[in-house]
Amino acid sequence: MAVDPEKEISSLWRALQGSQGATRRTFYQMRRALLEIAGPDANPLDVGVRAWEIVGKDTGKSYLPRMNLLKGIEGLMASVARAYQGLATTNGALVKIDKGENPKELFITWERCPWPTSAKEHGASMKEDLQGCDTYLQAFLDEVNAFLGTNLKIETHKAIPRGDGVCVRRLYNPEDK
Amino acid sequence: MGTLLFEWNYSSYPGAEKYPHLFKPIQVGKLTIPNRIKYAATEDNLNGKDGFVTDAGVAYLRERAKGVVGGLCVMQGVYMDEKRQGQGYVGQAAAWDDKFIPGLKRLADAIHEQKAVAGCQLMHCGRVGAIETEYCQGPSPVPQRLRIFRPVQEMTKADIKQCIKEHLDATERLLKAGFDYLEISGIVGYLLSNFVSSYTNRRTDEYGGDIRGRMRFVVELVKEVKKLCGDVPVGIRLCADELLDDVGGNTPEESMITYEMSEEAGVDVMSVTAGWQESIYPVISRDIPMGSWLHLAERAKQHLTIPVSMAYRLFTPDLPNKAIGEGKLDIWEMCRPMIADPLMPKKVLEGREGEIRPCVACNVCLARLFRDAPMTCYINPVCAHEWDPKYEIKPAETSKIVMIVGAGPAGLECAWVAAERGHEVHVYDKREEMGGTIIEASKAPYGDDELYGQIRFARTMCEKNGVEFHLGTEVTPELIEEEMPDSVVLATGPKYSKGAAPGFDRENVVSVLDVLNGEVQVGDNVVVWGNMKPGIGVALFLAKQGKRVTIVGRESKLGKDVNPSFLWRYVGYLRQNKVTAYNDCDIEEISDEGVTVVTYDGYRIPVKADTVVVTEREANPALKDVVQENSIELFVIGDALVPRNLSSAVHDGYRIGIRI
Repeated sequence: MAVDPEKEISSLWRALQGSQGATRRTFYQMRRALLEIAGPDANPLDVGVRAWEIVGKDTGKSYLPRMNLLKGIEGLMASVARAYQGLATTNGALVKIDKGENPKELFITWERCPWPTSAKEHGASMKEDLQGCDTYLQAFLDEVNAFLGTNLKIETHKAIPRGDGVCVRRLYNPEDK
Repeated sequence: MGTLLFEWNYSSYPGAEKYPHLFKPIQVGKLTIPNRIKYAATEDNLNGKDGFVTDAGVAYLRERAKGVVGGLCVMQGVYMDEKRQGQGYVGQAAAWDDKFIPGLKRLADAIHEQKAVAGCQLMHCGRVGAIETEYCQGPSPVPQRLRIFRPVQEMTKADIKQCIKEHLDATERLLKAGFDYLEISGIVGYLLSNFVSSYTNRRTDEYGGDIRGRMRFVVELVKEVKKLCGDVPVGIRLCADELLDDVGGNTPEESMITYEMSEEAGVDVMSVTAGWQESIYPVISRDIPMGSWLHLAERAKQHLTIPVSMAYRLFTPDLPNKAIGEGKLDIWEMCRPMIADPLMPKKVLEGREGEIRPCVACNVCLARLFRDAPMTCYINPVCAHEWDPKYEIKPAETSKIVMIVGAGPAGLECAWVAAERGHEVHVYDKREEMGGTIIEASKAPYGDDELYGQIRFARTMCEKNGVEFHLGTEVTPELIEEEMPDSVVLATGPKYSKGAAPGFDRENVVSVLDVLNGEVQVGDNVVVWGNMKPGIGVALFLAKQGKRVTIVGRESKLGKDVNPSFLWRYVGYLRQNKVTAYNDCDIEEISDEGVTVVTYDGYRIPVKADTVVVTEREANPALKDVVQENSIELFVIGDALVPRNLSSAVHDGYRIGIRI
């Protein structure tokens, strides 16, 4: 078979990175358009965070067919964590999932993430970047909780936009805290 | 015994002897129904967008009423609120105002004309409703698993009271319209089921909590409806198993409590159902063996003293006849079998079972409804056209000699219809066996053997109408010139196209038909060329033998010719059998190592393959020229015209059969 695997894979990889960059640019271009239309009184933080809330809610909704309680609350938490991981990886981040001491808590670590850099490039504050990401993850989780009657929570322990080097978030079931 | 509306005597019919339990009367409340057959309420999207009954809807139901031969025929569920939050289908009938009574009366009258028992249904669609409005209603604001539905608004106690009032007002209208039986729908995710289920009811007031609390709405409603109905029996449809264990739905034990409480509240008959639209488990598709859900009816019988009815994959009369005889069921319900053949039970009674056009459980009827389209049937071309004289089989003005080339589904359908109209019809096929490519297609797994039922039906109809068969005879230009028929119908099936890439001429490139017939050796690594239904079928056939199968096809999506209500089953089975699919791709080369797949945008993927199975098809123009050169009337139908699916073949055959 006349296939040069190195050529095929490197082309695909470049295309993937190009697509990831385009996604981030498009988000901030849309944000800029909104701010221009809204005028000087609009608060960029409010606009950015609201946009991420919409993205989180809609993404959560699209994941509902894959969410269930067949493997109990721990299985659901694993599904949510894997969804966060998959979504972030698709966007160019590197994410790992670790079990906590409590069997009903998971730690999700973003070892690298391109979004804070994009935020800086487009003039968005690190506060907005962090709050936007937290809101996005929470909105996703709210949708899952409403669907299954669960009460999962997520909290941020470390954050790249705060200068911590990594983002670490704890996903847990407060009833087992 | 209770009131008998129409006298029926089945004793002289062969079906009554063969299936004695189906043709015995049964008492439902104070009403005696002459047999155990029920056409179950089915949405058809044939009403006006304003909820008014149409000629098409009346004609559709009249045919089904004829089919139940004195049994129970239930019109589709009506929505009952002016705001249309209970409306789940664009063409659903309405009963929220007296102005709808005349139309509803037309339906009741159409059923009575056939000496059948006229049933109606109240159906508030709850969390799967509000098709024309922004929000739907439910006991709690739990989002649906599927994105197509509207956001759910939690009902207040005032909303609940109003909703019960609307049910009662609609009941009065339906009674005025002349219906003999009233049913309340609480299935598949509609409002009543939303209240009953622990998945969707998270209220903490008296309408929520444990199963008794969650049943309060149903109990209050049933009691009030019963008071209004007097001697008119009231039935209810409830899930015996919601199949929602993955999202915290009711247990089967809780479902049986809902049955007992419904009986205590006064219902006269229980219609047993399984699953929700949001269930992840298949319930009624072809891959579920017939009779799989009878255990639920049997369980219901153990908890109830009122009669129990059920539909759900009871497609042949032997199953319900046996179940009734064994005390596991009381009434045989049908939706899809009578969509495919409205006269199905009538033919059973008359001993004409071979003439029943069998439903293939493809669910295209449901897929259409969910996409706001009028009802149609995969294999019944007349379905939803009962009102239209153009679809009637009328005697031909001039009798012709018709040569049909190909005894597949298109050719056979055309043959019996043309013969019934008075033409002299000759069917030729180079094979000794009838069925065309359905012979092979029906060898694919997961219930595809049921596809062959269409061939059995058409063969019976051909024999009944005197069609002459010339099997094992290849039609040549010379034969056409010798016979010189008045009309030629080319139903020769498709040509299988190998593609132009290097390597398609190799010995390891084989035909899908040869593979399914077991006429060729297939290696362990297989590439299936073509990502439509024939490709899916053979891929599953081979994967179940343990082979590693990759589908490669030019269509941008897998199974474009399979309707969405069935495609999800195939997608699940392909995943389960570890079949990979490359869609929107082509084959660039076939070599000793395997196949080079090239994506639409030029990336190359090497795939190991010992065998390449060709399923891609193209139109088959053979014999067209000779027919035209001899000035013979010509029709090309089925895959010979454009390769599609069984449905298109049958519909083509019928449409040309009534035109020749």
